[in-house]
Amino acid sequence: MNVSELVKQAGFAVFTKGEDRAIESGYCGDFLSNIISRAPDACVWLTVMNNVNVAAVASLIDCACIVLCEGVEPDTPLYERGKQLGLWILGANENVYETAKTVARVCGV
Amino acid sequence: MQCIKLEYDVDGENFASAGHASESVKRTLKQMGVSPASVRRVAIAMYEGEINMVIHAHGGKAEAEIYPDRIDIYLKDSGPGIADIDLAMKAGYSTATENIRSLGFGAGMGLPNMKQYSDEMKIDSTVGVGTTVFLRVNF
Ligand SMILES: Nc1ncnc2c1ncn2[C@@H]1O[C@H](COP(=O)(O)OP(=O)(O)O)[C@@H](O)[C@H]1O
Ligand SMILES: [Mg+2]
Repeated sequence: MNVSELVKQAGFAVFTKGEDRAIESGYCGDFLSNIISRAPDACVWLTVMNNVNVAAVASLIDCACIVLCEGVEPDTPLYERGKQLGLWILGANENVYETAKTVARVCGV
Repeated sequence: MQCIKLEYDVDGENFASAGHASESVKRTLKQMGVSPASVRRVAIAMYEGEINMVIHAHGGKAEAEIYPDRIDIYLKDSGPGIADIDLAMKAGYSTATENIRSLGFGAGMGLPNMKQYSDEMKIDSTVGVGTTVFLRVNF
């Protein structure tokens, strides 16, 4: 399933948009060192971390999209960098566990 | 043998630009047609090294030499140095402050990641003088 379809079906907020890629897996985490070494390609990355380094890491790992959970909204530097790098930054109100369940159900990953 | 040299200033005061050097190297390797798996290994190892210069050493210089079959990376700083390199290499060991950890850094996995994703790694460090990390990734 592509990112735009996930957005529609899960009702996630869209802060910035990127390439409409296929989602192949998911990863939850906030420590950037864990994410860059363990997150699989083309994953949905679920986090509560909100700073500009999230964009650098997302770009490094080529994830399909970032989902900021628990109602977190990107701060201005993250928003600007996400836009510049062409990343999807999405938002969910639920916690990481509930959001992961939604992603798993909707995307079948 | 043909070699492309790239050089970057890593700004130690600016978290916003952290990752700039590894991002640029990653883009260059991609354009050169280096395999995605190799590009990713380089990006991970170099990003961790770059971040360490920012959070532990007030920035420094990153140099990359790209050869047809590999990349050599030198990360040079004039920071506090590392007193016990074996200890610093241990997974989970970190001297990062709470403030740094709240930004998502400081898991103590940076040096282990650099070791894991490079083919060669060498740390030269003198307390009070600075640290140079050498990384080689074969394509
Ligand atoms: N360039 C550096 N200058 C000084 N100290 C460093 C440098 N790189 C790493 N260190 C030391 O080694 C420790 C472990 O580094 P690392 O594995 O990257 O974990 P982290 O960066 O998450 O603390 C750091 O907490 C720090 O004490
Ligand atoms: Mg580190």
